[in-house]
Amino acid sequence: MLCDICNKHEATIHIQEVINSKKKAMHLCSECAVKKSQNDPSFDFGGFNLAEMLYNISESQSGFPGLSPISENETLDESKETEYLKCGNCQWTLKTLRRTGRVGCPECYNVFREAIDNALENMHRGKLHVGKKPGSKSTDKSSNFMLKLMKLQKKLDELVQREEYEKAAEIRDKINSLKKKINAPKAKKKNASK
Amino acid sequence: MPLNKIDKLLEHDVSWLLDSGPDGDIAISSRIRLARNIQSLPFPIAATAGQLEQIQTAAELALKKSKVIGKEYLDIHMSDYSELDRQILLERRLISSEFVEKKEHTSLFVKQDESCAIMINEEDHIRIQALCPGLQLFKVWEQINKLDLELEKSLPYAYDSQLGYLTSCPTNVGTGMRASVMLHLPGLVLSERINAAIQGVSKLGLAVRGIFGEGTDNRGNLFQVSNQSTLGESETHIIDRLSTVITQLVMHEKNCRLSLLKNKKHFLLDHIGRSYGLLRHAYTLSSEEALNSLSDIRIGVDMGMFNSIDLHTVNKLFMTINPAHLQKFAQKELNSQERDIFRAAFVRKQLKNAKHSQGE
Repeated sequence: MLCDICNKHEATIHIQEVINSKKKAMHLCSECAVKKSQNDPSFDFGGFNLAEMLYNISESQSGFPGLSPISENETLDESKETEYLKCGNCQWTLKTLRRTGRVGCPECYNVFREAIDNALENMHRGKLHVGKKPGSKSTDKSSNFMLKLMKLQKKLDELVQREEYEKAAEIRDKINSLKKKINAPKAKKKNASK
Repeated sequence: MPLNKIDKLLEHDVSWLLDSGPDGDIAISSRIRLARNIQSLPFPIAATAGQLEQIQTAAELALKKSKVIGKEYLDIHMSDYSELDRQILLERRLISSEFVEKKEHTSLFVKQDESCAIMINEEDHIRIQALCPGLQLFKVWEQINKLDLELEKSLPYAYDSQLGYLTSCPTNVGTGMRASVMLHLPGLVLSERINAAIQGVSKLGLAVRGIFGEGTDNRGNLFQVSNQSTLGESETHIIDRLSTVITQLVMHEKNCRLSLLKNKKHFLLDHIGRSYGLLRHAYTLSSEEALNSLSDIRIGVDMGMFNSIDLHTVNKLFMTINPAHLQKFAQKELNSQERDIFRAAFVRKQLKNAKHSQGE
């Protein structure tokens, strides 16, 4: 793809702005991008200073596990296409995300989904929320299950301490069947999502 | 001058430091916090002053209307209080160190017995925490869940069907829940098994840290074990997993204490006795010295060495010997040297009041 301005060089900077889920894209070569950001005040992406981004990006410390900051070599590597995104709702940029490890608003999760997805995989045990949701009391049931489980566990510990192993084995079986019941619906959900 | 609400907190006992909880000899307290945000408003890190004010007003209104934290609560605007007062809240574990520095448009709602606290405009719009003494995360979950259900009736939460509760930091997304238990593990430390235990727990995807700082700082032999992952597992599943691991740790600790008593009895008794002597008779006491000696006293109490000192007294001292509390009691600013002198006098008095009598 050629640069939108000079139409000569290969475009290596791709700016994409998302406003109300609509994308606006611009493709520039690094030379034109720097010139434009330095000379043209109308080239304003809400405090999104391209020159600063091109030259200082290696200073940004990643506060975001799994999302390493772009190194200087990478920004100079013109063959590599790097995409810079900005959230139209709160003006948060990918650079700020990398520097702070935080997103700016709920909408950022859509805008930066690709970058965040990779990081989420490293941070968490799954990629899909399976806990409570607003307006539902579904967890009450499993919380009762859990209370029962805790009580049984306590009883088991006491029995083991008193060396009453036969009774302990009964309780252990009860615990195991209860645990199966709790995990069963979740296992189904996991399979369904695959 | 308006009534200092923070002074009022100091008049009451902290409910989660009582020694009535299950496994209270080793597990001091169980804590859960939930991160919640209001739909379509930017997170505090990206919000304008106007938006922060909007969030603060909405959250305060919802809290007052829903009566979720009962009648006996204090609402504290952080900007009304001095640095020292804010440090007091930090030492009482009611706010985060980040919150101490954030004064504008931030508030704290806290139940009088400190079993529940809500920070407004910390990293997320709302951070709710609930605490109980001992190891009882399910009881804490029941309490905090009730509160959350009540609050969501008046606040539209930012929620995504795939990612769950949306939070400013992606490490909290999903349940928005961090559950943790504060453990006193001197047995594992004295028998040099603590590093193996920490490594074991880390491999299970749980985090272990010292209470007073990051990393290897284990003053007072106090540790906090918490979940790291918040996405892909339900709240109860996380709590179950955490509780199982902590029950194991508690058992290890008990075994270490027993084996020390069996194989190194004189070493252990001498260790505890010397610490008691230090706390009863020293005239300057650094914070580190005090915490480590208190840790020794705490095992002594558990072993029945001290008839009239109870765990509650020691638990409270772990909190009140910190700099902000001491300066509050002294009613003046103290430099580090003055604090050490005041701390020694304070601890001597507290232990004397406990009418000590040392058993065999």
